[in-house]
Amino acid sequence: MTDITMPPPVDELAPEPPPSGPVVWARENLFSSWGNALQTFFFLFISWQILSWLLGKLVAEERNWDAVLTNSRTFFTFNYPLEQFARMWFSLGALIVAVGITLIAFGFEPRVRTSKIVQSTIGLGAAVAVIGVLTPVSGSWRLGLIAVGVAIGVVAWLAGRALPDGQTLPFWSLLVGFAVFVMVLVWIVPWGQNEFLDGEYIDEPGTVNITTKQPWTVMMGLLLGSFFGARALARVVPRRILQLAMIVWWVMGPAFLLFLVLRDPAFDWGYVLAVDIPIALAFGLGGGALLYWLTEPVRGEIARIVGALLLGTAALTWILAFFGVVSMLQKIRLSILFLALFALAAATFAGERSVRLRYAGIWMGFVALTHWLITGINTPSTLDIAAPPFIGGFALTLTIAYYVMLASFPIGALMALARTSTLPIFRILSTTYIEVVRGIPLITVLFFFSIMVPLFLPGEMELSELAAIFIGYTLFSGAYMAENIRGGLQSIRKGQFEAADALGLTTAQRTAFIVLPQALRVSIPNLVGQAIATFKETSLIAIVGGFDLLRVGNQTVASQPAFLGQSLTALFFVSFVYWVFAYSMSRASRSLEEKLGVGSR
Amino acid sequence: MATTHASQQRPPLWRDAGVLKWVVQIIVLVLVIGVFWFLSTVAADSLAAGGIEVDYDWLDGPANIQLSEGISTVPATMWEALRSAASNTLRVAIAGIFAATILGTVIGLARLSTNWVAQKAASVYIETLRNIPVLVLILLAAAILGSLPDLEGPEEGATDTRFWFDISKRGLALPRVFYADGFYQFLALMAVFSVGIVFARRQLQAKQDREGGDHKVGLKVAGITLVAAVIAWFANPVMGFLGSVFGGLSDAWGSIPRPAMQLVLSALAIGAAALFIKNFLDSRRTPAGLAKLTDDDYFRMIFAGVGALIACVMIWVVVPGLIGDLFVDGLRDLIQWFADKFGNGRGNRPIDAMRPTLSTGRFANYGPEGLTMTPFFAALFFGLVLYTASFIAEIVRGGVLAVPKGQTEAAAALGLSRMQSLRKVILPQAFRVIMPPLGNQYLNITKNTSLAIAVGMSDLVQIGQTIYNKNNQTLAVFGLFMAFYLTCSLTISFIVNNINRRLAIVER
Amino acid sequence: MSKVIDAGMSDELAAREDMIVCRGVKKWFGDFQALRGVDLTVKDREVMVVLGPSGSGKSTLIRCINRLEVHQEGDIIVDGVELSNDVRNIDKIRSEVGMVFQQFNLFPHLTVLDNVTLAPIWVRKRPKAEAEATAMQLLERVGIPEQAAKFPGQLSGGQQQRVAIARSLAMEPKIMLFDEPTSALDPEMISEVLDVMKGLAQSGMTMVCVTHEMGFAREVADRIVFMESGDVVEIGTPEHFFTNPTEDRTKLFLSQIL
Repeated sequence: MTDITMPPPVDELAPEPPPSGPVVWARENLFSSWGNALQTFFFLFISWQILSWLLGKLVAEERNWDAVLTNSRTFFTFNYPLEQFARMWFSLGALIVAVGITLIAFGFEPRVRTSKIVQSTIGLGAAVAVIGVLTPVSGSWRLGLIAVGVAIGVVAWLAGRALPDGQTLPFWSLLVGFAVFVMVLVWIVPWGQNEFLDGEYIDEPGTVNITTKQPWTVMMGLLLGSFFGARALARVVPRRILQLAMIVWWVMGPAFLLFLVLRDPAFDWGYVLAVDIPIALAFGLGGGALLYWLTEPVRGEIARIVGALLLGTAALTWILAFFGVVSMLQKIRLSILFLALFALAAATFAGERSVRLRYAGIWMGFVALTHWLITGINTPSTLDIAAPPFIGGFALTLTIAYYVMLASFPIGALMALARTSTLPIFRILSTTYIEVVRGIPLITVLFFFSIMVPLFLPGEMELSELAAIFIGYTLFSGAYMAENIRGGLQSIRKGQFEAADALGLTTAQRTAFIVLPQALRVSIPNLVGQAIATFKETSLIAIVGGFDLLRVGNQTVASQPAFLGQSLTALFFVSFVYWVFAYSMSRASRSLEEKLGVGSR
Repeated sequence: MATTHASQQRPPLWRDAGVLKWVVQIIVLVLVIGVFWFLSTVAADSLAAGGIEVDYDWLDGPANIQLSEGISTVPATMWEALRSAASNTLRVAIAGIFAATILGTVIGLARLSTNWVAQKAASVYIETLRNIPVLVLILLAAAILGSLPDLEGPEEGATDTRFWFDISKRGLALPRVFYADGFYQFLALMAVFSVGIVFARRQLQAKQDREGGDHKVGLKVAGITLVAAVIAWFANPVMGFLGSVFGGLSDAWGSIPRPAMQLVLSALAIGAAALFIKNFLDSRRTPAGLAKLTDDDYFRMIFAGVGALIACVMIWVVVPGLIGDLFVDGLRDLIQWFADKFGNGRGNRPIDAMRPTLSTGRFANYGPEGLTMTPFFAALFFGLVLYTASFIAEIVRGGVLAVPKGQTEAAAALGLSRMQSLRKVILPQAFRVIMPPLGNQYLNITKNTSLAIAVGMSDLVQIGQTIYNKNNQTLAVFGLFMAFYLTCSLTISFIVNNINRRLAIVER
Repeated sequence: MSKVIDAGMSDELAAREDMIVCRGVKKWFGDFQALRGVDLTVKDREVMVVLGPSGSGKSTLIRCINRLEVHQEGDIIVDGVELSNDVRNIDKIRSEVGMVFQQFNLFPHLTVLDNVTLAPIWVRKRPKAEAEATAMQLLERVGIPEQAAKFPGQLSGGQQQRVAIARSLAMEPKIMLFDEPTSALDPEMISEVLDVMKGLAQSGMTMVCVTHEMGFAREVADRIVFMESGDVVEIGTPEHFFTNPTEDRTKLFLSQIL
């Protein structure tokens, strides 16, 4: 039996390709039935009406888009002084470098299919053409827009035909493309030179100012440089260390930029050397030695007792200070409190020598950073600004949103743990907090804190209104954070708790090593959702008195003599900025969700 | 019986897990109460330093506040101003909930449609609007309304300019449908008829169950209801006698002595606690005797007892006056309000409609006849609706997609038609997924009405702020805010939970 | 309460030290009584298998021994330490009693090696290098050293259960509790887990096993306990139990199962 009849070659059996082409497509997707055809006409009509109305609003005669061009700096940084603007650029540069390294550290280098790029480009062309058709502009503009749109579409389509199927582009090529795009915007597009010089409005044709061109070129260079530099670095340094470094940076770095770069504190070096540094050294070294001693495994209960005593001391210092018995630097009180918390956790993290050394080391790093920041915050700023807040516009929006998320995280985690705990009083307290806060509008919370916090403060203390609002917003956000984390906590099966108990882990160890890591991973999509919501809701501080992006657009620009009444123009721009950021965050979270595979579980 | 040891040896107190657990909790509780007490004393002190006592006496004081719209735009007292402002809040919220639900459902279903244009248009809508802050949308709506042309007054001599629809800088005007005099009598008569309708429906349903086949029960019941409604439309004055009935009831209720009411209420509180404890103990009773109670069980019973105690203290010591105001006078007024709605001789049409007109004062404006929105109201309304609709659309889409494909296939395999499978299989399940997040969105609309302050509409928060800026009663006003919004959110979650429970039963 | 039939503690066994002593242990879930006064003694190096229909309180009993459930009346004494609310005793007992669950309950976010070393490092405060060396030895003993760097989700059920056993052994427990360790496994994986358990029994570990594997019970057990609706009905050697049970309820159970 040697001559087996061979099956026919595959291509003979291959099925006929399904019918395709624009006519077939239209028949299937637009006119498959009477109802379908009706839908097509209805939605076409509605979209047509709305789009042409909206585009009409955008290009209407009374829109003066110079208002946006001229105020672009105001929108993003409000009244930060021009002479010191290099600090802004430094901060932005630091953030961009961090973004570049973070992308590499967390392995975010998705390859992009060329077919997808071609598709989006064709879509872009179509959009430009449709805008050309719908916008009520002069005939030559209309024809020009349609021609450009069609040209883009056709070129992209031809390119798509020429490229082989399934080809992908590496992520860095997208980054390079982005940088080139920004360079074109800055160096070639004739936006016109608009600015206020000594209160006088200047409007000249040409490309943007050199003071905009140079820094943006540097920024793009930094973006690419940090990305490729980090790629080289990742070959030498283990990823885990890069990731840890970036997490530490994202927690501490922005504060550093905010308080030490943008505010530029005028340190009194004599005082710093005589008082601040000795205190920091005493706490760092003394506390480190104490913690090293306490984390020896045999000291379990002593560590708790020392922690409790320190906690009592910290509380006492506050109470005594309030009644004016003992005055003490706030920094010392805070440090005692932190040391107490570290001592309480010592038994949980006790272990061999290297573990203990690391624990003491973390404490010393923590002391160094907090003391530096506290000193920086408490030292008067050299910045010469009329209004007290040193940062405004979109920078303020981002800062508040970022810090509210960061600060509300521990509150949320604590509340979520309390709400899922078996201890009834904790449960009732946290449930009450969460439900009450979630039942009232944010704006009332912000009003309440901006008015009440000054009343709650003891006599000599002062707090800026923005800080009071920030506290209120954080407490508000903490309740929502708690609900998101609780979702993650509840997804953990009972067996995980039992297994941890059966191994003899203490409650604190069980929570730190088993429960929270799993719960947080599950809650990531929800937390990103909350980050987007927080970012959007930050606009509410425009009502309670902060000069954020929205307030700048709605009030500052519209009250400039050159652009009186241009608030609608500015608002269009403001909503565009919000949209770009919120939309890209939600896209990023979707791809993150896919990567983690959490959503599908 | 095997050897039973009387009890386990208790370890020393500081090592007893059961004791430690409670000690820690009580310490935290005391700390929390302490911090609150401390903060409130400090706040009260600093308020007292400014000569302000926190109380609610100012509610009856004169207002001198101008509202943008509402029941009374120039209220006499603070209380009236707040009430009017709260009704504005509710008006926006309720109108917004309805509009956003309809718009959101349409868009959500469009996104699920097989039609390419519908799908894309819905996607663009959703992705655009939900990524712009609602406050920005509200301000945009306000700015766009502000950029519209102003209203032109009617020409000299033309007195009666009626129209169907208009939108301008002055707001928006639509025809208005409203409850006319006969409405409550009509409702009462329909309530009477509904007994017959329910009975008829049962009969029809029983017949269908007996004989099988489709008797079109729903259609027939709808027909009967329609006939009943037509009869009630014309015959509603019959129910006028209810006015005097309610009037008598109201007088009787008002004559209840206050101590008696306090006694009844505290008895109710104690009775409820006692009943709770009894039921609880019963649930722990086993054939072998009472099961051993855990710490948590004791805590629950103590909590019920303390709750009753607190209620009694509130009733007799803290706010005895409020009890009288609320439960005696308040309910009396409520019943009297019903009585006023019926009075003899009121009657005929239950529902009426009017077209809007132009009023001619110094400035042209919309007259009171139509359903008009001030530009402030319109900006808030459109901002909220457009924003929330994008979220509701996603919820609706998610709900429908959450029903496994197998369900549709199983329904088809059983021979159900597409409509039948949608109505009996898909929608009930989708609804169960949709309901909780939808309730959340309703809550969000209600809370977001507080952004009215940005466009100058007189909602509760704006008027409240005006008041505390005048009299510095900040704490008192914030107490009212909290009470109002918590009531709203509790009401909404109560309704949503109820619907959900019912749906859950339907499912099983 | 029925009188417990106790047939078969040999003199040699009786002379050994008591490891676990239960006296009149009662436990309620709400108004459902799961244990109705259990009296039981497990000797040092004894392998005891607990049998019984589902819902008979077998799992509850061994979970009480580990204090995953708190019994409400009676005494449980493990290795001379009485189980009570004493914070110190709970931790002591839990780190001396290992437990293997039906659903494995490995920690999915940690690698196999981290799963095994977690408790030695943080509870026993062992140096990391030492803990890892021990862990590798244990993984070799259960036959899967090559999987150390993988995550639990990447292993088969049998492998996961063997990791779970290694994880418990890493704490060097005096007693091992097995709560239906093979019930969630596919048939072809049961034997690999049972083999590990047999090896453990031969090494002289004190073991209490809730299981439905009659072959295992017959071959390995020193004594078998039969429970029904929260009572211990009968205790005896495998020989006595399978060939000549005294109680009618035991006979009925065996006739249904064999």
